[in-house]
This record gives sequence, structure tokens and C-alpha cells, in this order.
Amino acid sequence: MLQILIAALVIFFFIGKLFWQKKKKTISSGEFIFWLVFWLVTLILVLFIKQLDQITSRLGFSVSAIQVAVYLAIVFLFYLIFKVRLKLEKIEENLTKLNEALTKIKKE
Amino acid sequence: MKTSVVIPAYNEARWIAKVVKEVKDAGYETVVVDDCSRDNTAVLAEQAGAVVLQHVINRGQGAALRTGTNWSFENSADIVVHFDADGQFRVQDIAWVIEPLLQDQADVVFGSRFLDNTTKLPWSKRQIIMPLARLVNRVLFGVKLTDPQSGFRAFTAKVGQQIVWRQDRMAHASEILAVILRSKCRVKEVPITVIYHEFGQGLSGGFKILKDLFIKALD
Repeated sequence: MLQILIAALVIFFFIGKLFWQKKKKTISSGEFIFWLVFWLVTLILVLFIKQLDQITSRLGFSVSAIQVAVYLAIVFLFYLIFKVRLKLEKIEENLTKLNEALTKIKKE
Repeated sequence: MKTSVVIPAYNEARWIAKVVKEVKDAGYETVVVDDCSRDNTAVLAEQAGAVVLQHVINRGQGAALRTGTNWSFENSADIVVHFDADGQFRVQDIAWVIEPLLQDQADVVFGSRFLDNTTKLPWSKRQIIMPLARLVNRVLFGVKLTDPQSGFRAFTAKVGQQIVWRQDRMAHASEILAVILRSKCRVKEVPITVIYHEFGQGLSGGFKILKDLFIKALD
């Protein structure tokens, strides 16, 4: 119970900080919505952790819901790294195009 | 027919003047693409009589070749030859390489180190690295040439403008081959001699090429 309380307090702290950042206009509306949804979903998961444990057990997982969440988070992080690598590749390609154009302009 | 010899160069101050002078004396337009060298490669190439294109930032051999090739075709070259700056290729071989293009027997010509025994390759390169490279190129790209990693190649303007490669670094050789073979143009190999001053790419370089090709394929 104490763990759930601490986790909920941490989440409320981040949600509060999010509203403060929104008020100061240091984040865009899109980012605000994304992080708000993220923290609300996390809060729901924390508050209903027992029920989630039962669901994961029924789904055939031999570990607790929080462990499943950690595994899924790792998979998601790998996916993000992959997406960032592709994005980086595209930026590199565009950089080379710019470099070529600049080289030709310098020569003229 | 106007032939441009494109020479990508990065920190090649030791060899570049000699290479440019020899290519110029053979009667070809010499286009050196200085890939943002830290030494005076660009100055030496210019003094030796080359057209010098200077990259603002270092982008790799594939990118330098692309810059030089595009510039040459935009400046009315009929044939473009890719040549190395480190003095390992022989200038007299350029005539052999472009001959099938001039005779209209091919659209693209590759110089091969393996059609005769004049090139003294290091043992590990001849027995391990090159057979592996051939196998990888055959399996992944269907390339059946004797020297798929050769950097000595020539093509006509008609075909050259269709050959678009995206690899900026060393994987460009495999990609150029794959693009050329897909385009169904006439390809020929001729023997060339390479004089090795340095070992060149080892197995780790080969793995890096594979990684670059894989990432680009996903993009």
C-alpha cells in the first residue's frame, strides 16, 4: 500500500510539473497531451496493480504485471532506438545533399 | 569524347600531386573531390592542375564520388572514371578501362584485380577477405563479377546519370554494383593492376559495409 502511495505521489508531482510547464508555455500542446496521457495511464496501472496481476496471470504470464510492463517498456525502447537510427540516417543523407550543393556553389 | 577522371581524396597530400599530374599528362580532365582533408590535399591537387571540389564537411568516399560524378556530367563529360588518390591504381590502365566504352561494347566497365596475376594482393586479402566479399555480393546482390569491391570503374554519361547510389561511405561499391546490375546495362570487366602501399579494408571494414547496407535497406 505504501509503495502505491509513493508511486501515486511521484506521478502527481510530474502531472503538476506538466501543468506548470504548460502554463509557462515551455512545452507544446502535443507534448502536453502525450505526457498527460502517459502519466494518467501510469497512475491507473499503479492504482489497479492487483487487478492487473490477475489479468496477466490469466493471460498466461508467470510474472507480475509490473514485470510485464518493464519488459514491454524495454521492447518499446528498442523500437524507439531503431526509429531514431532510421531518422539519423535520413538526416545524414540530407546533410550529404546539402554538402554537395554547397561544394558546387563554392566552385562556381 | 570528354573523359573525366574523378578522384575522391581525404588526407592524401603524400600522393595527390603525383596522381593528378600523371592523369593530366595522359590527357584526361582530372576532378579531385577533397573530402574536407585536414592536410593540404586540395592545394596540392589544384597546383598540379586538377579541378578541385572541396567538401565543406567530411562525408566519405561514396559521397565524394557522387559529388565529382554529378559535377562532371553537369559539365559535359561523356565518360566518368572513378580512380583512387593513393597512387595504387596505374594511370595507363584508364585507357584499358574506357576502351570498351569508346568502342560501344559496354556501358559500364569495372577494373578487376583477378583477371590476371599482375596484382600482388596480401595473402589474407586474396584467400579470405576477397572470396568472402565475392560470396556476400553474390548472395545478397546477385553480382557475379570477379572483383565486386573494385573502385576502378568507368561509365558513359547515358548510364551514369541513371546510377544513383545513396551510400556515403565504403558501402557505395556494393550499392553501385547492385544498381548497375538492376539497370540491365552492358557490363564488362577488364584486368587492372593495383600496387599496394597499404592493406586497405580488412574484415572489420567488411562488417561495417554490411551494417551500412542493412540500415539503408530498412530506411
